[in-house]
Amino acid sequence: MREVFTMWRDTRMILLVAVVAAVYAAILLPFKVFTILPGLTSVRPANAFPVVFGLMFGPAAAWGSAIGNLIADIFGGTFGPGSLGGFVGNFFFGFVGYKLWGNLGPLSSGEEPNMRSIRQVVEYVLIAVASSAMCAVIIAWVADLLGLVPFSVLAPIIMVNNTLAAAVLGPPLLYLTYPRIKDIGFLYPELLADEELSAAGASRRYVAAYGLLVVSLVWLGVGLLVGTGAAPGTLTVGLVGLVGFVLVLAFAIIGAERLSAILERAGARPAGRNR
Amino acid sequence: MSTRSLYVSADTPVHRLTARSKIGLATALSIAAFVFTTPIAVGIVLAVAFGALAWAGGLRNLRRVWFIVVALFVVGFVVWPAFTPARGPTVLATPLGSLSSYELRFALGRSFRIVSFIIIGLAFVSATSNEGIVRGLRSIGLPYAFCFAVGTALRLFPTFLSAADTVRQAQEARGLDLSAGNPIERVRGYVPLLVPVFVNAVRQVNDQSMALEARGFDTRGERTFHGKRPLAGRDWIALALATLIVVGTLVGRYGFGVGAL
Repeated sequence: MREVFTMWRDTRMILLVAVVAAVYAAILLPFKVFTILPGLTSVRPANAFPVVFGLMFGPAAAWGSAIGNLIADIFGGTFGPGSLGGFVGNFFFGFVGYKLWGNLGPLSSGEEPNMRSIRQVVEYVLIAVASSAMCAVIIAWVADLLGLVPFSVLAPIIMVNNTLAAAVLGPPLLYLTYPRIKDIGFLYPELLADEELSAAGASRRYVAAYGLLVVSLVWLGVGLLVGTGAAPGTLTVGLVGLVGFVLVLAFAIIGAERLSAILERAGARPAGRNR
Repeated sequence: MSTRSLYVSADTPVHRLTARSKIGLATALSIAAFVFTTPIAVGIVLAVAFGALAWAGGLRNLRRVWFIVVALFVVGFVVWPAFTPARGPTVLATPLGSLSSYELRFALGRSFRIVSFIIIGLAFVSATSNEGIVRGLRSIGLPYAFCFAVGTALRLFPTFLSAADTVRQAQEARGLDLSAGNPIERVRGYVPLLVPVFVNAVRQVNDQSMALEARGFDTRGERTFHGKRPLAGRDWIALALATLIVVGTLVGRYGFGVGAL
């Protein structure tokens, strides 16, 4: 998770945060494909951006998505305590993608995310589902804690919205934009030095990546069971969320990204890149 | 939904407070709306928030987002009884189900809370400019680089909004129909719109980085600020009021059971 903090030393990464945030908010607010609950939730094409940006801009996309959602709240008139959940949820919406890409063992393509093969698309869709679930559970957990909307109502809605937009729009967007961003030299492994990126052995990376994938989905499932009263015992949505969030943080801390090694192997990034 | 800034340029007492004081007051009212659970207690907080919004000249903003406020209220009111134990006498019986007095009061309290949060946020953004929001973030101790990114994003947002609209018009002139087909086809219809907006935006990053670095931009050094605004007497009064609201709310709720269902 080191790069989440070290990226603030690089001017281009800081500007990428601002650009990602502004583009995300500028597409999020005016464009919606269709409305699910009037005034409350719609399928929006911008929901594809955090995952797509995350794969290309890494930590800058995570921060940018979080800030972009905050700006959309400010301009959309829904700014309030619930925006905290939106901030953290959208941060992880952009964060999960670059942590999982290349780290899913047999499920990973081992290639750059330029969507030139079926294996890449499969890996991408898996990541889109995990990222969407992570965003959904965090936002729904905070909304439930604040007493705004029950977890079991909000989480599935956000999950479906995000997954639909990210899974359908992500592959063509990456197919068209990834080569251009790579040509400009703005992929996050090209902007950050080795010492600014998290480092971890293969086994730790796999554990962290599968941990994030499994926790996001299990948190969603258990949260729904507890929220609807289908789960026996004294579990609450708040407690499930607390355990889930601590696990997410733990896996986020021990994990590391893989795109830099993939680029090095392809000769697109010098090995041992220093600032 | 409107995409213009909700800031109301005016010279009201609420506007004259520093962003730090406004954050303090908004936080205090949010805590009160969160801690109380009865419709009457939360309704009082809501009334205060409405007053602040009106005082800040933000009622016209409410007209822009009234649909969201009503929708959130209705959704909260309909959904929460299903997640609340039925207690007390039945106040409404229908073939679909019945509503107890406890469920009714619980749902009303939650719906008032949702609306309170929205109105408090609306009052804050109505009385605080984008620059004020960034100054406020800085004044509560967030790192400069983060505040700079937020400020830059707030400035770039209208530019990209306009660019997105221009690209939409250009693509529609070439035959793009964003409302045709099934949901999957409609989602995919956005690709020709998103790619140019996105690639154009990223292309600007390099030029802007060089311009910033040429002016000595560095996030690691200690920064000084021109025109730092100290807290005035009215800010201290506002912060004292915020403290009073928080302490009074917590003591009333947990010491005397005020506003608890």
